[in-house]
Amino acid sequence: MIIIIQAIVILAALGLVVFVLAGRQTHAVLAWKKIALCLLAVAMMVAVLFPESTNHVAHLFGVGRGADLLLYILTLAFIAYVLNNYLREQREKDRLFRLARKVALIEANERYSISKK
Amino acid sequence: MSRAVREDVAIIIPVYNEARVIGTVLKHVLKHFKYVVCVDDGSSDASYDEIAKTKAYVVEHPINMGQGAALQTGLEFSRQLSVNYFVTFDADGQHRIEDVKAMLSEIEAGDHDIILGSRFMGETVGMSGTKRAVLKAAIRFSNATSGLVLTDAHNGLRVFNRVVAEGMQITLPDMGHASEIPEIIAEKQFRYKEVPVTIEYTDYSKAKGQSILNAVNIGFDTLLRKVTR
Repeated sequence: MIIIIQAIVILAALGLVVFVLAGRQTHAVLAWKKIALCLLAVAMMVAVLFPESTNHVAHLFGVGRGADLLLYILTLAFIAYVLNNYLREQREKDRLFRLARKVALIEANERYSISKK
Repeated sequence: MSRAVREDVAIIIPVYNEARVIGTVLKHVLKHFKYVVCVDDGSSDASYDEIAKTKAYVVEHPINMGQGAALQTGLEFSRQLSVNYFVTFDADGQHRIEDVKAMLSEIEAGDHDIILGSRFMGETVGMSGTKRAVLKAAIRFSNATSGLVLTDAHNGLRVFNRVVAEGMQITLPDMGHASEIPEIIAEKQFRYKEVPVTIEYTDYSKAKGQSILNAVNIGFDTLLRKVTR
């Protein structure tokens, strides 16, 4: 049984990485991110209201305790979040730098009276 | 050796907080080359003023963006000049003009698009053992990601023709560009050659050099870019 959860977590981890990395920020990707967030919120409420339910779900996947399952899910969500933010930051930086370069070049060309070919 | 000042070459120098040495370096370079393009990468010291005192061009980044970004800016500015060859040169005075001249004669032969300087083929003065080990590891990594066979990727001295200057688009803003350039060479199939150069590691350049741990950052960004592309 334990093999199942190991396979699922590893595949999910890899899937997440590919999903986050390869995701050009299309509407579909953004929508799925929101859906995932909502599902997570619902799961959280269920887990709080029916503490035993996490154990049931955990057993389905071959995990001993519900708390362990939550930890796995949380870890995956965290990795996805970190990667997502890192990539977003890189994209923003890239845009800012292109703008700054343009400004620098315009200013320098003006100073040296170089007109664009 | 002729002392004529060459007007068909643009020397691109990224500058970040080098006020102490840049004046001397520029005075020396300007004796041999008319077109020197400095990119002041948002220095917080008097680098800009020091450059402005000389006849070198200076393009000023409004914010600090990193050496890769500065090289790309210098490249884009230099393309507008009527020169045939482009040279990237470090600001801290560790490269030698003789090496630049040798590399220029190499590229003028017309068999290559880009000539890269290598520390490990030539003489290197004052390099520490750990630095050597890290650079060796870096080149193995860089060769693996680009498919090129080089002995030293992280060398600031490069000479290239207009085909390369027009085709080069450096996207990694920081030191990662050193691994990115070999990738661009491979992708665009530029004809390249490595030649030995001598680097003089002074106490100044050693103090300015990047920390060894930064190799981790470069590796991570390079691999990440491979996946996202």
